Amino acid sequence: MARIGVFVCWCGSNIAGTVDVKRVAEEAAKIPGVVEAVDYKYMCSDPGQNTLRKMIKDKNLTGVVLAACSPHMHENTFRKAAVKEGLNPYFIEIANIREQVSWVHEDKEKATAKAIDLLKMMVEKVKRNKPIEDVRVPLTKKALVVGGGISGIQAALDIANGGVEVILVEKEPSIGGKMIQLDETFPTLDCSSCIMTPKMVEVYQHPNIKLYTYSELEDVSGYIGNFNVKIKKKARSIVEKDCTGCGDCWNACPMHKNVKSEFNVNLSERTAIYVPFPQAVPLIPVIDRSVCLHYKKGGKCQKCYDACGPKCIDFDLQDEIIEEKVGAIVAATGYDLMENSLYGEYGYGQFKDVISGLQFERLLSASGPTEGVVKRPSDGKTPETIVFIQCVGSRDPEKGVPYCSKVCCMYTAKHAKLFAHKVHGSQSYVFYIDIRATSKGYEEFVRSTMENDGAIYLRGRVSKIYEDNGKLIVKGADTLSGNQVEIAADMVVLATGVIPKKGSDKIAQMLGISYDKYGFYTESHPKLRPAESSTAGIYLAGMAQGPRDIPESVVSGSAAASKILGLFSKSEYEVEGTIASVNKTTCVGCFYCKRVCAYSAISKEEVKDRNGNVLKVVANVNSGLCAGCGACVNACFSKSIDLKGYLDEQIFAEIKSLAV
Amino acid sequence: MEKMNDKLQNTAKELLESKEVNLIIGFAKGSNPLRMRSVFITDPKDAYKISFNAHCVQDLAVFLKKPEVKKFGKIGIVVKGCDEKAVNTLIQEYQLSRDNIKIIGVECRGAIKQNLADRGEDSVKQSTVYDKCLACEVHTPLLYDYLVESDEPAFEITGDVKPYAKIEELDAMSVEDRNMFWQKEFEKCIKCYACRQACPLCYCTRCIVEKNTPQWIETNIEETGNAQWNMIRAYHLSGRCIGCGECERACPVNIPLMLVNEKMARDVFEKFGYKSGLDINAKPVFGTFDANDFNEFIK
Repeated sequence: MARIGVFVCWCGSNIAGTVDVKRVAEEAAKIPGVVEAVDYKYMCSDPGQNTLRKMIKDKNLTGVVLAACSPHMHENTFRKAAVKEGLNPYFIEIANIREQVSWVHEDKEKATAKAIDLLKMMVEKVKRNKPIEDVRVPLTKKALVVGGGISGIQAALDIANGGVEVILVEKEPSIGGKMIQLDETFPTLDCSSCIMTPKMVEVYQHPNIKLYTYSELEDVSGYIGNFNVKIKKKARSIVEKDCTGCGDCWNACPMHKNVKSEFNVNLSERTAIYVPFPQAVPLIPVIDRSVCLHYKKGGKCQKCYDACGPKCIDFDLQDEIIEEKVGAIVAATGYDLMENSLYGEYGYGQFKDVISGLQFERLLSASGPTEGVVKRPSDGKTPETIVFIQCVGSRDPEKGVPYCSKVCCMYTAKHAKLFAHKVHGSQSYVFYIDIRATSKGYEEFVRSTMENDGAIYLRGRVSKIYEDNGKLIVKGADTLSGNQVEIAADMVVLATGVIPKKGSDKIAQMLGISYDKYGFYTESHPKLRPAESSTAGIYLAGMAQGPRDIPESVVSGSAAASKILGLFSKSEYEVEGTIASVNKTTCVGCFYCKRVCAYSAISKEEVKDRNGNVLKVVANVNSGLCAGCGACVNACFSKSIDLKGYLDEQIFAEIKSLAV
Repeated sequence: MEKMNDKLQNTAKELLESKEVNLIIGFAKGSNPLRMRSVFITDPKDAYKISFNAHCVQDLAVFLKKPEVKKFGKIGIVVKGCDEKAVNTLIQEYQLSRDNIKIIGVECRGAIKQNLADRGEDSVKQSTVYDKCLACEVHTPLLYDYLVESDEPAFEITGDVKPYAKIEELDAMSVEDRNMFWQKEFEKCIKCYACRQACPLCYCTRCIVEKNTPQWIETNIEETGNAQWNMIRAYHLSGRCIGCGECERACPVNIPLMLVNEKMARDVFEKFGYKSGLDINAKPVFGTFDANDFNEFIK
């Protein structure tokens, strides 16, 4: 016989202001099976929880319904209180009369009636609850970090320093990501490679980190604590253990001046066998087989091989698939910049001296194509006037993206500042929509660019750029003065918007994590679980989640690492027991459930007789993988799958309770 | 027809003699010359019983779901193009292994409606065949191990043929009128479940109608339960029904079930570009989880 206790929470005036809580409790007391119904000002408070515990004990309750706030808030609080009195935690049900009633309705009479209905449903449900045990899964205490930019590096280092083995996978030949391409960083102007390279070297030397560069994630299966990953290590054509990074090979390569350097964003050339930049980690070259003469001309050229002292070049090396088992994964796949070509009016691609912000970084950098001397790409002259255009693609729902790319205001101010420092007597103009400088020292930094370095900020958009007599004529609006402006510039720098890294959606699909309509990975909760993805055991870091600056990327890498170290501090992981279960007697094995499962949680299981003959093949739910979404329940024709905690019988009873 | 029958019988005989199959399911002459019935042959000597003509209406694939047939292991089956799609779907849905089935496909020129045959009709014409035959795209089965060609010419189709023309009529109705139409049809239902028994794709060992915790479908014969049963069955077959028409033929109270099934098939094709039963390796339309779905919300 059910003995249900009902607690109606006021939530101060949050609920009680709109719902007649006394009447809800009175009505609840009349429902068959309810032994006592009370109302209380704050059920989540200590005395509130004690009332709950006392009633469970005194009235020997078999189930509890709280009419209160969303279960997202305090379900756990009440479950824990119930467990202390020996009740299975899944015998606590919550009728959400705050978010679903008091906060969304005004009419007290109707709101009260709805609250009573919701409560009735939960009473009928809890009467049919069955005890559920949480699922415990073992943990492989090893982590995988996808992406070797600053956030991935930070995550890998923090995890490794916590004593856990880490595998770091980077698609490019070197780790370093976008940050290593930057010159000096706002707002303190420390040189990017000076602060980045020590971290890269630390990764390389760390005994707990296994680094796979020039490698890609190929496949992921399994679940929290037990992921099986396949990594494709692309053929570098170099026997890595023998290479000393001396550079004889790339100096011998006849293909110099033929291939655009990705690292210098097409502002310089590289050879077919190359390291992307001198501080690359690892300092092991790679042969770009798409351009190398050896591969293109049937093996005739082998100048690099001839030049190589330790003879570590092997043209026949093949891609390799490496399988690893890990317990947790960090997705730190980073970002790309939007195509500037979307903005024809700015003449990117048409005029050599219209360049992107990242290209300007390379022009400023001492390791860049001009060794840090600002020269224009067209004729190598030092520009005296530069126009910077912000929000190219960002905050432009029509042609670009509606969101703000967050870092452009700051790096443009930095560009203008560094330009003033490098070319004395020069002049910068910055077209902007708003200036967003909201972190520590940022506003001061922008101010100083304007006031100390003489950059002229114009609030408005540029309508057209054309070439005239060796100058770029920039026409735009200064909306503050209301004037049209025309500036004859030597160079134009576009602050292009940030988009997710190409291919990051594929990674997300492999990992089974969700992403937003732009392709940025979505957090489990935007505020309270910002490091977690929607899938247990997979964490997020860096720009893959959305535009952010270096400090934020570092913080997010550390956050993901701390989550993983926390996860690995236990011997097993507990998964909520509200998962699907199959009635193997009635299952006919059509496997529609398997087809619709987004978590690959369903496998085939043979049912055998005592002699080992296979009687039939049925569906089996992997309790570690199942997320309890219920898609399989829906797909099952014979209704042979039920979701624990949400049994069909319970849902039916809930609906029936509303029948008049 | 004689040539077809010879080839059918020889194929069956060889398959049984070589023990490639343990059972052949085929058609044999029934109690009257215009009725064909199913026959189950295990002895090569009995292969002469197998024959085929325009009265072979039944979808023999229905037997493949039965445990008493399954226990034979390797089975040969005689199928028309439409019925063969049921075999495909059974393979696609893991109810049958391709390795365990030998498909003896027969080229079919159309099946004569049984109510007409019972009154003596024996010629295949536009006016005498089932609606499904008018729109048939699989006179030759899509998948087979042996093909028995027809020696009859195809019947001629003249004028604007609209199989299941009633569907368009129903589509044009108001929701209330359409509802009224179906309510009247379903009122007749006596819950005998003959539709389910005759369907080659209703293979669940415990049908949803038999589940009682909770009771999804009212089992007594009344308005709600009748509509529930027929609609849930239609949903369970949408994107799966191969249009053999056996449910409608089995219905003792003549509910035009194929109108629902065909309507569902047309909708599925229109919305998802999917036709059932064509490919044993295709992903069933309602069992597909695809990140490239045209709906944004799925991403």
